[in-house]
Amino acid sequence: MTTLQAALSGALVGGMFAVMAAGLSLTWGMLRVINLAHFGLILVGAYLTFELATSWGLDPILTIVVTVPLMFLVGAGLQWAFDRLGVEGFASLLVSFGLLIIVMQTVSNVWSADFQRMEGDVNPYATGSVSIGRFVFPAPTLIAFVFAVVIVVAADQVLRRTFAGRALRAFAEDRAVASAFGIDHRRLGMVLAGLSAASAAVAGMLFALGNAVTPSTPFEWIGIVFAVVILGGIGQVGGVLLAGVLVGTLSAVVSATWSPALSPLVLFSAIILALLFRPHGLLTPASRGAR
Amino acid sequence: MMARGLGGFALVFAVLAALAVWREDLGLPIFYLVLASTALFWIAQATSWNVLSGYSGYFSFGQGAFVGVGAYTTAVLGGRHGVDFYLTVPVAAVFSALLALLVGALAFRLRSFRGEIFALLTLAVPFILAALARVNSEIDGGQGVIVPVAEYPDWLAQFQDFLYLLNLVVAVAAVAAAFAIQHTRFGWALASIRDAEDVAEGLGVATFRYKMLAIAVTGLIGGAAGSLFALQIGFVTVESVFGLTIPLFVIVMSVLGGRTHWVGPVLGAVVIVLIQDRLSASGFEGWNLIVLGAILAVLVVVAPDGLQARLWRRPWQAAVALVAVTGVLAVVDSWGGPLDWFVAGVLAAVAVVLWPGRARAPVAAERRPAAAPVAPEEAAGAVPVAADAEPGEVLVECRDVAKYFGGVRALDGVSLRIRAGELVGLVGPNGSGKTTLVNLLSGALRPTSGSIAVAGRDIVGLAPHRIAHVGVSRTHQIPKPFESMTVRDNVAMAIMFGRSPRPLAGAREEAEACLDVVHLRHLADAKPAEINLHERQLLEMARAIATKPKVLLLDEALAGLNPAEIDAAVAVVRRIHATGITIVIVEHLLRVVNQLATRVVVLNQGALLADGDPRTVMNDPDVIRAYLGRHAHARGT
Amino acid sequence: MRTRSLTALSATAALTLFITAACADDEPEAEPSPGAAESPAGDTGAPSGDPIVVGSTLSLTGAFGPTGIIHQIAGEQFVEQLNESGGLLGRPVEWMVLDDESDQAQVTALYERLIGQEGVDLIIGPYATPNIISAMAVAERHGFTMPQHTAVLAPLMTYECQFPAWSIGPEPNEYVPEQVFDALESLPTPPERVAFVINQGGSTDFIAQGSPDDDGDAGAVPIAEERGYEVVAEIRYPPDTTDWAPIAAQIRDADPDFVFNSGLAVDPVNLLQAMEQLDYRPPLMFSLFPAPGPLLGLGDVADGLLSVSIFEPNDALIQQAGPEAQAIVDEFEARATAEGLPYTAFETQATASWNAWEILVAAVEGAGDTDQQAMCDYLHENGADTTFSGHLDFNPDDNNFWPSNQGLKQIQDGDWVMVWPADRAAAQLQPPVG
Repeated sequence: MTTLQAALSGALVGGMFAVMAAGLSLTWGMLRVINLAHFGLILVGAYLTFELATSWGLDPILTIVVTVPLMFLVGAGLQWAFDRLGVEGFASLLVSFGLLIIVMQTVSNVWSADFQRMEGDVNPYATGSVSIGRFVFPAPTLIAFVFAVVIVVAADQVLRRTFAGRALRAFAEDRAVASAFGIDHRRLGMVLAGLSAASAAVAGMLFALGNAVTPSTPFEWIGIVFAVVILGGIGQVGGVLLAGVLVGTLSAVVSATWSPALSPLVLFSAIILALLFRPHGLLTPASRGAR
Repeated sequence: MMARGLGGFALVFAVLAALAVWREDLGLPIFYLVLASTALFWIAQATSWNVLSGYSGYFSFGQGAFVGVGAYTTAVLGGRHGVDFYLTVPVAAVFSALLALLVGALAFRLRSFRGEIFALLTLAVPFILAALARVNSEIDGGQGVIVPVAEYPDWLAQFQDFLYLLNLVVAVAAVAAAFAIQHTRFGWALASIRDAEDVAEGLGVATFRYKMLAIAVTGLIGGAAGSLFALQIGFVTVESVFGLTIPLFVIVMSVLGGRTHWVGPVLGAVVIVLIQDRLSASGFEGWNLIVLGAILAVLVVVAPDGLQARLWRRPWQAAVALVAVTGVLAVVDSWGGPLDWFVAGVLAAVAVVLWPGRARAPVAAERRPAAAPVAPEEAAGAVPVAADAEPGEVLVECRDVAKYFGGVRALDGVSLRIRAGELVGLVGPNGSGKTTLVNLLSGALRPTSGSIAVAGRDIVGLAPHRIAHVGVSRTHQIPKPFESMTVRDNVAMAIMFGRSPRPLAGAREEAEACLDVVHLRHLADAKPAEINLHERQLLEMARAIATKPKVLLLDEALAGLNPAEIDAAVAVVRRIHATGITIVIVEHLLRVVNQLATRVVVLNQGALLADGDPRTVMNDPDVIRAYLGRHAHARGT
Repeated sequence: MRTRSLTALSATAALTLFITAACADDEPEAEPSPGAAESPAGDTGAPSGDPIVVGSTLSLTGAFGPTGIIHQIAGEQFVEQLNESGGLLGRPVEWMVLDDESDQAQVTALYERLIGQEGVDLIIGPYATPNIISAMAVAERHGFTMPQHTAVLAPLMTYECQFPAWSIGPEPNEYVPEQVFDALESLPTPPERVAFVINQGGSTDFIAQGSPDDDGDAGAVPIAEERGYEVVAEIRYPPDTTDWAPIAAQIRDADPDFVFNSGLAVDPVNLLQAMEQLDYRPPLMFSLFPAPGPLLGLGDVADGLLSVSIFEPNDALIQQAGPEAQAIVDEFEARATAEGLPYTAFETQATASWNAWEILVAAVEGAGDTDQQAMCDYLHENGADTTFSGHLDFNPDDNNFWPSNQGLKQIQDGDWVMVWPADRAAAQLQPPVG
C-alpha cells in the first residue's frame, strides 16, 4: 500500500521533471542547442509566479498568463541571437552556462538569496490533495502531471501533424535537404525555442507551487533533468514523459521500500544501465541510431 | 622535439619552484603563490579532463568523480587512519584511475558512446559515489573528515609554499604528460579517434586500448590533484567534492583555452582563475558572477575553437599587448595593484588575440600547386593491366555467411572465395547486401552465422584493427578523412598504426609514396576540408593502401564523380591492383566494373546470384532481371 | 617556430608578473579597501586614525546563500553601530567581506588573500560548517584568532583560537536530544512512539546518530531508545531529496506520537507539506536547523513545530537581554526588509553573528591591540560578554565550546516563541494536537 502510494506520487513528481525536460530535449534535438539557460528560465518562471501571486494576488496557476508570453519572447530572442552568432553544440552548452550564472546572480540581486515560498493564503495548492479511494494525489504534482501530459501530447501532435512540425523534424534530420525544400529554419527555430521557453515558464510555476526556491536551486535540477532528457531520447517529447514518470516512480519506490538514502544510488545506477542498453532513449531500440 | 619539450618543462618547473623556495628573499608576497596554487590546481584538473575529452573527443561531465575519489582517499586515509600524506597521494591517484578504468570498461566496451550519451554516463558517476559515501557513513564518520596538515620540509617558510610546490609538481607532471601524449603515437591515436573513430579502428588503431589509456591518465591526474584539493580545503564532505562546480569549471576552462592542444587547458585555467580572483576582490558585490558569465559567453561566441589556436596566429601582438598594458598601468600607477595591472594586461592580450581582424582564409588556389601531368595511357585506362595476373591462392574465404538485422536478412548463406591477385567487382541492386558484406569483411559488423577467413586466419570476432593488421583495408562510400590532420598525416596515420608500426617521421616519408600512387602528392600539406570530393576519395584510397593490405575493399569509391574524374579514379585502381593488392570493388557503374574487374560477383536479396567472368555474368538472364531490370530502368530517368 | 613563440610568450608573461609583483612591496595598499563598510561620520566620539580592517568571507551566493545574507546584514549593522559609538580602540573599523560562493576552495584562497595580501588586522569566520572548518585551517596556519558564528560540531573545531559564537556544548549530539526529550517529558502526556527522519548531511547526521566510530558517543536515536521510547521509524534521506511523498507515507504508516526531524533549511517545510497532502499531521514534530521563514508561511500546518534556538525576538527575551536589545532587533528588521529578505526576525543566526562580533571586540579591547595571540589568551582567561548570550567562558579542553544556553522554540499562532528551558521561556510549551 505504502509502495503503491509512493509509486503514484513519484510518477506525478516525474511529470514535473518531464515539463522541465521537454523544452530542453526539443531544442537539443531539433536545433542542436544544449540550453543550460533553460534552467535559468525555469528559475525566473518560478520567481515570477511567486512575485505575481504574492504582490498582485493572482492565482499561482494563472500567473502563466503573464509568464508564458514573456518567456516565449525571451526564448525566441535568445534563439535569434544563438542562430546569428552560430552558437550550437557544445559551444551552446558553454554560452548558456554563462547565461545561467548571470540569471542566477540577477535573481539573487532582485529577490535576495533567501528562500522564497508562496504562503499558504496565496497558494492553496501546496498542501491540497485529491483522494480517490485510498490513494492520494498531492495537488502540486497532480497539476504538474496534467500539464506534462497536455504539453507533451500537444507538442507531439504539432510535430507529427502540422507542416511546421514536419518541417522541424526534417530540419533536425538533414539541414541541407530541409533548406533546399525552402524551410525557413530561422523562423521555425525561433518559434520552437520560444515555445520551449514558454514551457520553462510553466515548469517554473509548477515548481513554485510546491517548493521554496533560492537562486541556486537550478543546480538541484540539472542532474535529474538531463537524465530524463537522455533516457527519453533527445528530441523525443513522448519519451520525456515516459522517462520522467519512470525516474520519479523508481526513485519513490526505492525510497518507500528501502530507504530514501538509497534512491539516488539506485536511480543513477539504473540510468547508467539504461544508457548502456538503450543509449538513444527508452523508446528507441539500441540497434537503431547506432552508427 | 620531445626531449626539448620535456627539458622545457623541467626548466619551467625549476623556475617556478624557485619562487617558493626563495620567496622571502625575492620579496614575493605569499598571496601570489596562493593564487598560483589555485591556478595550478585547475591547470591539472583541466589538463586531466582534456586528455580524454579534448584529445579523443569523449566529453565527460564526471571530473568531480576523480577529484572526489582523490580527495576522499587522502582525507579518509590521512584523517581517520593516520596514513602518511605522501603515501595517500599515489594511492588516491591509483584509486581514481581504477574508477576511471571501470567507467571506461563500461562505456567503451559495450559500444562506443559518444557525445551526450558518454557525457551523461559520466555525469551519473559522481552522484552514485556521493550516495555511496553517504550510505556508508563508516567511510567518513558521517560528519566529514578533517585533513591533517602534512609534515613539510623546513626550508619552506609556510604551508602555502608547500601546497604551491605540491600543486606545481602535479600540474607540471600533468601538462608534461599531455604534451608527451600529444607528440607521440598515443596522441595521434586519440586525435584520429576524435576525428573519425571507426575509420581509425579500420586502419589499425586499437581504439579501445587507447581510450582506456586516456581515461586512466585522466583518472590518475584527476585523483592526484584531488588529493591536494583535500589538503587545501582542509575538511572534506560529500558536498564539497562530488558537486557540479568542478566538472563545469573544468569544461569551461578547457574549451575556452582550446581542446586539441596541451596549452589550451593551461591558458583557459589561468585566464578564468585570474578573472575570478580580480572580480571577487573588486567589490562589485552581486556582479561577480554576472561579469564572469558574460565574459564566458562572449569568449565562446568569439572564439569557439579556443584561445590557443588564435594565440598561435598572433603570438607577438599578444605579448606586446600584455607587456604594454601592464607596463603602462604600472608606470601610471593610478589604479589598482600589480595583480590588477597584470590581469588587465592578460585581458588586453586576450582581446588582441580575439580581435576579428582580416581572417587569413586559406586561399585554395594558393595552397594548391598544379597536379603532375598524368600519363595519357594511364588516364585513358584502355589497357587491361590486371588481366594478366594469374589468380593465386585463396585469400578470402566466406562460408555460409549470414547477417540478420532483427528480422531483416541482409545476407543469407553467402559463400565466396577470393584469390590473391583478383580484382572482384561486387554488384547488385540497392539493399542486396553489398555494403553489409564489406562491413563483415572489415569487421565493422559481426556475422550472425558462418565463417570468414582472410589469408587462412579466421577473422570473425576479431576487432577491426586486428583485421586491418591481418591485411584487410577499406574505403568508405562517403569519405571520412581525419579533418584535423593534413592529407599527408592522414596517410601517415595508417602507416604508423599498420602491421609493422612506424614512428611518425618515417611514416610521413612513406606516406608520400602512397600519395604518389593516387596522384595527391601536390596536396600533401592541405587539410581535408580544402580538397574536393574526388580528391577526398583518392585520399581514402591512399590511406587504405598505406596499411599495406592484402585485400582492399573499395566501397563505391567512385560515387558522385564526373566522367573525367571516374577515368582518373579507374586508373588509380588499376595502379593499386598492379602493385599486387587484391581488390574487391563495390560499384553501381557497370561500365566501370566491366572495364576493371577480372571477376564479377552479383548479390541479390542477400544471396549470391552469379559469380564469374564479367562478360558471362553480365549476360546471365537472372542477373539482367534482378539487377539490370530495375537498375537500368532507374538510370534511364 | 611554435615552440619558440610559446617560450617567448611564457617568458614574457612570467617576467611581467614577476616585475609587477616585486613592485608590490614599494607600494602599500593606498586605495580604500573594496567591500568595506562605509565609515559613518559619527557625531559623538568619532573614531580616528587608520582603520582596523576585519576580513571575512560569506556565502552570499550558492547553496549557503539564504543564510549567508543574514550574517552579512547583521555584521554590517554591528560594524556601523560600533563606529558610531567610537570604534575599536578609538579607531574606525572596516569590514572587508568577500563572497566565497559557498565553495570551500574559494574560502581557503580568500582567507589567505585577506591575511596575506590585503593585510587585514582581524578575521571573523564565514558561514556554514565546512566553510568555517576550511577557514579555521587558514587561521591556524597564520595564528589568527577567529570567532565563528555557526559551527557547532565541537569535536571538529580543534583550533585553540577559534571561538564559537553559538554553542551546543562540547557534545551537541547529546545536548539536543536530551533537551528535547526533557521538554517532552514535562508534558502531561508525553509521547511514546518516535519517528526519526534524518538528513544525511554532516551535522544533522551527527546529532541524530552520534559518531559511528564510538558507541559511547551516542546521538538522538540511541538516546531515545535508552530513555524508553519506541522508535517506530528511522528514515535517512539525502540532502538533495526532491520527492517527499514516500517519506511522508512511511511516517504516516508508522503512526508516531512525535517526529524528530534532524533536518536542515526547508526539509521540514517539504515534509509537513507532503504529510498534509496525505491528510496526515503528526501530533508533534521537532526539526533541528530549519529556515524559520518558510515554515511560518505554511500557516497552521506548521503550528506546534519545535526547533532549537539561542534567541528569539520575543518581548520576554528582549527584556532579559537588556536595554539595547530592542533597538538592535528593530534595526535588523529594517535592514533585512530593505534587502528584500522574506523573513526579517533577529533570531538564532543573527544572534550568533552578533555574538561573534562581540567576542572579537572583547578580545581586541581586552588585549589592548590586535595582537592575535594576546587576543586568544585574553579570551581564554576572561571570556567575553555578549548582549544576547550573556557571559561566555571558553575552555580549551572543550574546544572553547561554552556551556550551552540553547533552548527550544515553538511555532505558536504563526510565530516563533521560546518555550524551553522554563527560565528563558516566553511562553508555555504547547502539547501535541489532537
